Amino acid sequence: MFGLWKTWKALEARGIMGINRRNADYVLKYNRRHLYPIVDDKIITKQRALDAGIHVPQMYGVISTEKEIDTLDAIIDGRSDFVIKPAQGAGGDGILVVADRFEDRYRTVSGKIISHEDIEHQISSILTGLYSLGGHRDRALIEYRVIPDQIFKSISYEGVPDIRIIVLMGYPVMAMLRLPTRQSGGKANLHQGAIGVGVDLATGVTLRGTWLNSIIRKHPDTANAVDGVQLPNWDGFMKLAAGCYELCGLGYIGVDMVLDQEKGPLILELNARPGLNIQIANDCGLTQRTHAVEDHLETLARDGRQETVEQRVHFTQELFGHIPAQLAP
Amino acid sequence: MRSLTLHLKILIGVLVTLGLAITAYQILVLGIPVTEDETDDLWNIDAKVEFVGNAKDPVKVQMFVPPLNRDFVSLNESFISNNYGVSVNRVDGNRKVTWSARRASGNQTLYYRLVLTKRFSGEKAKVKGPIFRDSLPIDGPEKIAAEALLAPIRQHSADVETFVSETIKRVNDLSDDNVKLLLAGDTSTLHKARVVDLLLSIAHVPMEKVHTVRLEAGLAQSPELWLRSFNGNDWLYFNPDTGEQGLPADRLLWWIGDDALATVDGGKKANVTFTLSNSEMNAIRLAKLTDENTDAGFLEYSLYGLPLQTQQTFMIMVMIPIGVLVILILRNLIGLQTLGTFTPVLIALAFRETQLGFGIALFTVITALGLSLRSYLEHLKLQMLPRLSVVLTFVVVLIALISLFSHKLGLERGLSVALFPMVILTMTIERLSITWEERGAGHAMKVAIGTLFAASLAHLLMMVPQLVYFVFTFPAILLILVGFMLAMGRYRGYRLTELVRFKAFLKADS
Repeated sequence: MFGLWKTWKALEARGIMGINRRNADYVLKYNRRHLYPIVDDKIITKQRALDAGIHVPQMYGVISTEKEIDTLDAIIDGRSDFVIKPAQGAGGDGILVVADRFEDRYRTVSGKIISHEDIEHQISSILTGLYSLGGHRDRALIEYRVIPDQIFKSISYEGVPDIRIIVLMGYPVMAMLRLPTRQSGGKANLHQGAIGVGVDLATGVTLRGTWLNSIIRKHPDTANAVDGVQLPNWDGFMKLAAGCYELCGLGYIGVDMVLDQEKGPLILELNARPGLNIQIANDCGLTQRTHAVEDHLETLARDGRQETVEQRVHFTQELFGHIPAQLAP
Repeated sequence: MRSLTLHLKILIGVLVTLGLAITAYQILVLGIPVTEDETDDLWNIDAKVEFVGNAKDPVKVQMFVPPLNRDFVSLNESFISNNYGVSVNRVDGNRKVTWSARRASGNQTLYYRLVLTKRFSGEKAKVKGPIFRDSLPIDGPEKIAAEALLAPIRQHSADVETFVSETIKRVNDLSDDNVKLLLAGDTSTLHKARVVDLLLSIAHVPMEKVHTVRLEAGLAQSPELWLRSFNGNDWLYFNPDTGEQGLPADRLLWWIGDDALATVDGGKKANVTFTLSNSEMNAIRLAKLTDENTDAGFLEYSLYGLPLQTQQTFMIMVMIPIGVLVILILRNLIGLQTLGTFTPVLIALAFRETQLGFGIALFTVITALGLSLRSYLEHLKLQMLPRLSVVLTFVVVLIALISLFSHKLGLERGLSVALFPMVILTMTIERLSITWEERGAGHAMKVAIGTLFAASLAHLLMMVPQLVYFVFTFPAILLILVGFMLAMGRYRGYRLTELVRFKAFLKADS
């Protein structure tokens, strides 16, 4: 009992955010319920992003009824690689990534050969709501398959590594690179076995990693070091993420982005309840950073000022970047 | 944000205070027992009036019956008689029953039956009584004897109480010449009481004779005489033989005054015998009975006012918040993972039908079989709704088979599954299989075990009879629960499992 209490105190001292605090102080406080559909439905997110001129993977088409499954061929339009996603899927479930096709067969990114019927069944499952949050009917989204930048080749196993930045009221507070592993089946979700690697907000250099709640330095599949990697176009990611606040209006979100080898940084999706493992990846608690941003917001509100995306990015980079110098408690 | 917190604090405060206040009111003021085991004594008093009727005259029998004004509550009162008219009237603080008949000859027997219990409400009605009276006429040697007795009594007493008890002690001192003179050789209790009355009247102290019945089963008894005097606030009772003050709790006041218990016009050899018996009764049922005979209508607005059938349903329903509370604590404080939010509560309710051990076994078997069916159906590439329907039907068939087999094997327990909620099972199977596919077998197992654990815990808690009784009797407790739940709504500390999850941080430090 005493040991637990000590652990509790130690975690609290380091500003580690727990689920209850995240829900009570951030998700419930900053995310208004009626805005959820914007992030929960990827099609709406994409539409909004396009309207705002933010880069997203190109959308080939939407299937919303069983009847429309017949139009799949027309939507694919002879392309050999594409992604099928549930519009309201959670945690990367139900996503089918097709990397290649020959004659009637398709090959997924993990090398599995599937038939046209398999794809149609997958879409049908999506439509009936198998993967959606509340089991509601859903729509299937067919979009451009992102080809990850070559920089990730050595530190990821299949799939597309993505970059998650937690954004509080437009201020990026913490960033993480998520690398798929053999165990995660090419998916970049930590609970499915992907690696999370902390990223220095100022420089875009990776820190150490977390895999299944423990700390690692090397990718378990490729054995290459995951720390010390310079992510290209880092400021672009930061600005993209910061701009998502204006896009959706939610105050506390996780922005998932990818680096396409041709199109550069693209927004994949937004998450209104971002996970907490990012703290392990960064070896840093979220609470201190969010409190710092909240204090800053209060100061701004008193002065009646507002900051642009560039100013916000600059602010957090100055405050939280160049680890570990500034944030010693 | 701060005002919201204050608002919430006030709300919680109000709810908890309200809950506590109502419960305290029920327990302390209304005197509702806290546990079901609490029983109260129930007294059954039969007074049998026997007499021999004169063949020619009309008969009128009058008997005092208890006025039941303060410490006891009558649950049932009946006058058993054949061919007699019965009327009850109040005379000078007494109640008197009159049986009358045009003709009655030979041995007659009348019964008066009273079922009563101690009044369990703490409040006592204000009483009124005389504090002054005129002296009884007295002269000659008696007067001198009385005054000679009174002089030391006055000296040795301070107030009404001590005065009366001193008087009684003196009168019981049979060696005193003055007492001998006043008693004139008759040392019966009744006569002594009369002498005491005389002495007190000279001092203008009011006094009444009280006839009581002792609440003790299987004891042949006749009414016992006590004296009482009013001191301005309350009646003080005295034993006329010893001067002892205070009426024992087992005495029931039957009537006041000098008159005989029963009088018979048109008959002779009147005799009254008392038979007492007592039984114990669940305090709440007793309260309900009392309720019908008194104006304390508090139970009218409790759940006990509902029809019995509905009451049983509510006994289950009021426990659901307790189950939900268990889930809340397990999920938000401990961090246990369960399937769905309230599925464990529903499963816990299902366990009511089957008992815990059998329920868990059944749940495991059906879920395991359902999962294998589900994984087979996966190959057929069915849509969700048809697939769920197949699983549901399969579950029904499975339950029917289990019932059939267990019946054939002589296990009647198996039949109780009939109401095991099939939809819950089906949804459990579906969600578990999705979890299995997406998060792996390990996670699915963890979730399934978490669900069963939460359900078992909720079930066990919801079945504690004392708790069921308590919540059902004091539903205001639920307000306190709501207060706790509200507080939990803004709990932002760590969950127990998070302490383990974030251990990596601490390792890095050391």
